[in-house]
Amino acid sequence: MSETIRTATQDAGPKPIINLARVSKSFGATQVLREINLDVKAGEVLVLIGASGSGKSTVLRIMSGLETADAGEVWVNDVPLHDARRAREIRGHVGMVFQQFNLFPHKTALGNVTLALIKARKMSPADARKRAMDTLDRVGLADRAAHYPSQLSGGQQQRVAIARALAVEPGIMFFDEATSALDPELVGEVTEVMRGLARDGMTMVVVTHEMGFARKTADRVVFMDKGVIAEQGAPEHIFVNPQNERTRQFLHRVLDH
Amino acid sequence: MSSDLLTTSLSILFQGLLLTLALSAASIVGGTLIGLLAAVMRAFGPMGAATVARLYTELFRGTPVLITLMFIYFGVSYFGYAIDVFAAGVVGLSVYQGAYIAEVFRSGIESVSKGQWEVSQILGLSKAQTFFSVILPQTGRIVLPPLVGQYLSLIKDTSIVSMIGMSELMHGGQAIVDRVGKPVEIYGLVAVLYFIVCFPISRWVRRHDRRRSVLS
Repeated sequence: MSETIRTATQDAGPKPIINLARVSKSFGATQVLREINLDVKAGEVLVLIGASGSGKSTVLRIMSGLETADAGEVWVNDVPLHDARRAREIRGHVGMVFQQFNLFPHKTALGNVTLALIKARKMSPADARKRAMDTLDRVGLADRAAHYPSQLSGGQQQRVAIARALAVEPGIMFFDEATSALDPELVGEVTEVMRGLARDGMTMVVVTHEMGFARKTADRVVFMDKGVIAEQGAPEHIFVNPQNERTRQFLHRVLDH
Repeated sequence: MSSDLLTTSLSILFQGLLLTLALSAASIVGGTLIGLLAAVMRAFGPMGAATVARLYTELFRGTPVLITLMFIYFGVSYFGYAIDVFAAGVVGLSVYQGAYIAEVFRSGIESVSKGQWEVSQILGLSKAQTFFSVILPQTGRIVLPPLVGQYLSLIKDTSIVSMIGMSELMHGGQAIVDRVGKPVEIYGLVAVLYFIVCFPISRWVRRHDRRRSVLS
């Protein structure tokens, strides 16, 4: 009997780590997502692009458990996020990097990274500190461990935020316009860290306006328009030969600037 | 004033001052706990709890502290129980000032961005952990000056507890005036004693506040 089960699993192919099926979401009278279907494979780097209000950030917030879908099924890391009783199981197993960093202003860079390790993971302060120093080193900020967020540049703050998310060893990393609040000259140091993560095989879902990042680093680009996925495919397909008229218009607008 | 009378008077004032300090300290602890609870109920509690907390703050912000004290002191004996005047003072001042302190905490809690809750949730912190490790320490910085202002007002409000017969500093002053007259000198001295307690606290906050604005 166990053999039958194994065969059945193999037939299904590798299960996607994220699966959205007919997901809809409204805020008040505004419907922001209309029956979205989307799979993400383990190790894949998926980039969501689209105009503001197209629903891309909402997709990310639903995948990370910050919002609940009104309808449809959402599976992330084997957790059914559409099931209110089980949705909280996702906490601490995915990472999210926000546009506004959301660092803890009353904690040093090191304190920002160790807090969840000590409180949520119940690590000893010494172990947490060691793990935090390793992660800060990974984003090139080991020498800034004792600095408070207010003493760091925007790019450094966002790298601390990435280190904080990575330290809990998430299976998936979400980036919600992680470089949008940064001065242009600071964008590079953050996208560089993100590229490094992609190279290391991290599963990533990235909402961004950085078309250069989408083109060079994405395995797949999803173009969203008015709450639906208008077009998706490999970056060379989306950027060189888009099929959808609205994708063409959008790219024309953003690449012109 | 004979030296004997002076010694007795000073001793009365000193005893009164000690009682004022004890009453203030106990009421500050009580008022802070009640205020924090009411603020948390109002910010995160279910509908019913939030409404109760709102009614509570509105009720006590809208009535004089003396009425609160009277209700507690005489109300308890009305129902056939005895309450010691110190306990009545602590409960009255705590409940009354708690309503103001709740508003101070509430504005502090609301001033922390929603993103702090969201990132904490994703990192796996519970709501309680987020509140105590992330939100509350940040409100502390915003809340401290108005909170201490409320404490100062509480310390001065303890003088009203003399009205229900507690022999704290104000009551001591009255007792001396009743015996020897000289209201200007005696009440002047009482005022100086309140000032000596309150002024350093007020100065400390102002210094702290200035240092903070230099830092940020």
